[in-house]
Amino acid sequence: MKALRFYALTALGLALFPFAIHPIGGYGGLATQILIAGIASIGFNLLLGYAGLLSYGQAMFYGVGGYVALLTVSRFFPQFPNFWLAIALAVAFVTLMAFVIGTLVVRLYGIYFALLTLAFAQMFFFIVFKWRDLTQGDDGLQGIASPPLALGPWSIDLTTSFPAFDLGPFGNLSDLHYWYAFVAIVMLAVLGFMRSLVSSQFGEILTAIRENEERSALVGFDPRRYKLAAFVIAGMLAGLSGALRGLYETSIAPDALTVETSGNFVIYTVIGGVKTLFGPLVGTGLVMYLQNVISAKTDAWRLIEGILFVAVIVFLPGGVLGTFSRKGARTVLARAVRVRPESVP
Amino acid sequence: MQGPAPLRGRPPFALPEDSTIDAILSQLPGQLLDGFVRGLVYVAIALGLTIVFGMLRLVNFAHGAFYAIGAYVGLVVAERYGLAAGLIVAPLAVALFAVVFDRVLLRFFYDKEPTAQILVTFGVALVVQESLRLYFGGTTRSFPIPAALSVPVNLGFTQYPAYRLAFAVGIVAIVLLVWLFIQYTSYGLIVRAGIRDRTMVQLLGGNVALASTIVFALGAGLAGLVGAAASPIYSVDPDTGFSFLVPSFVVVVIGGLGSFWGAVIGGLIVGELQSLTTLVLPAASDVVIYVAMALVLLVRPSGLLGESEVIRG
Repeated sequence: MKALRFYALTALGLALFPFAIHPIGGYGGLATQILIAGIASIGFNLLLGYAGLLSYGQAMFYGVGGYVALLTVSRFFPQFPNFWLAIALAVAFVTLMAFVIGTLVVRLYGIYFALLTLAFAQMFFFIVFKWRDLTQGDDGLQGIASPPLALGPWSIDLTTSFPAFDLGPFGNLSDLHYWYAFVAIVMLAVLGFMRSLVSSQFGEILTAIRENEERSALVGFDPRRYKLAAFVIAGMLAGLSGALRGLYETSIAPDALTVETSGNFVIYTVIGGVKTLFGPLVGTGLVMYLQNVISAKTDAWRLIEGILFVAVIVFLPGGVLGTFSRKGARTVLARAVRVRPESVP
Repeated sequence: MQGPAPLRGRPPFALPEDSTIDAILSQLPGQLLDGFVRGLVYVAIALGLTIVFGMLRLVNFAHGAFYAIGAYVGLVVAERYGLAAGLIVAPLAVALFAVVFDRVLLRFFYDKEPTAQILVTFGVALVVQESLRLYFGGTTRSFPIPAALSVPVNLGFTQYPAYRLAFAVGIVAIVLLVWLFIQYTSYGLIVRAGIRDRTMVQLLGGNVALASTIVFALGAGLAGLVGAAASPIYSVDPDTGFSFLVPSFVVVVIGGLGSFWGAVIGGLIVGELQSLTTLVLPAASDVVIYVAMALVLLVRPSGLLGESEVIRG
């Protein structure tokens, strides 16, 4: 019953979302981009929030996912362009990549983990950047139209608009392409998957490992295997996100693999709230929406984003959702009234 | 129906076709010197990172921002009052900025987990980078080299720009000065002891808080100085901070986080590695240092000269 309520309410929320942001300057395309990037943030949260692993390299999975998806369409199987094949190859390749890299990095902790993931991401950035024959280097892959979505006997062009229907202040139904509906269904599945994952035994053991790795190991759980699983799932979701982004935008460039992109997923997740199911999605939406609205008015957008990020870390360590949920508010309140022990001078 | 487009051209990481051994050998001395100079930039940045890590157990993602601030302050001052003035003002300004940053924000994160420290310093790095972009614009700026130092010097085996030689001598001298400071002054004693066991130094009455602040300001000032001094060689833009920070992480990880000579050796290795790869395999020159870092971390996680402590965050 609870699960049914979760899916019904989430589906309703996703259906209303693009219209809800219309009066405040949002639009269908932005809503689609937010959901696509949100998939990677949700995966990253499994790493940072539940496993306590700060990866500064999610962009490598995101970017490579995008490249593999578009190359599948334009280069590997141009005579047989297929939407599902592009997604499947991208996700499969990235999952394998995450497995290999994950095996190497989960031995490390804290800063070393962050630095090694950063190093791997830089490695992939420069490979993509320099391998001109395959990736077109600096220019990236441009104008690769997404194949139609084959669904049984039907073949759906995702760039088709919904029929026109005036919704007053909430815009028009025709603002939305079929892309949004597709991405919303994927998002619903990802949220459902993550929800059952973190409340499963796997999620609990992951949290236990973050709290006290030695104890979990002594009880008989191999921390590395659990962290590796989390790393692979996070990488897979980043790859799926990148593949969808590539197909949606019909292009991808090396900037998808930069430190900045990796940093963006960190920013989205931390601002939204780590260790909450919807936090990463809310953070992604909030930051991307603000970016859209503010960058139209001033050049200072990235500065404002940086200040916002620092402010959240300092004042709302639980992120927006972690703080304003009922439980989070209680924690903040408790911390405020607790007397601080005198620190050693 | 046409088949898949063949993968044309030579493989991306193949040796250049016209690269004979002779051609490479003739460029070798100059390239080795270039690698040495570049390595010294990394050494100076990495030294700050590594002593701050040793003292405060903090990996500072804003350290590259110190370099960038130093470069821009140096640029502004040098344009008006000459390069020498820029080289004096830049490190002082950056050290002051670092002290304010430390007292206002960072000290609240000393006891937090490393993840939180990385996040807050990363945020500050973003703020600095974007402030610089807003104020100075996004374009690449280059430093005027004083006329006296813009001539090439004949070293016998190769010609080399005078400014780069002066830069190399200056950085080597400063690295030695920092080493003498740490080795032979009473603050240096607290720093060395603090790296070993912070709590014990506190119990013995050493002023660790003050020593920490001094170390932080020293590391930042060093980054600011090298930012101003290296910019005539590498030019400067708002992203300079991150583009030097990331290789500097590689340096400290290869050398061993917290180790003074590790940063020196790591910096020179990374500089030469980049420079020599440019000579034989240009496409791989950026990738090679990350491969080296990954190898070191996997084979010897504490770095070449790092203490073999259990790596726990």
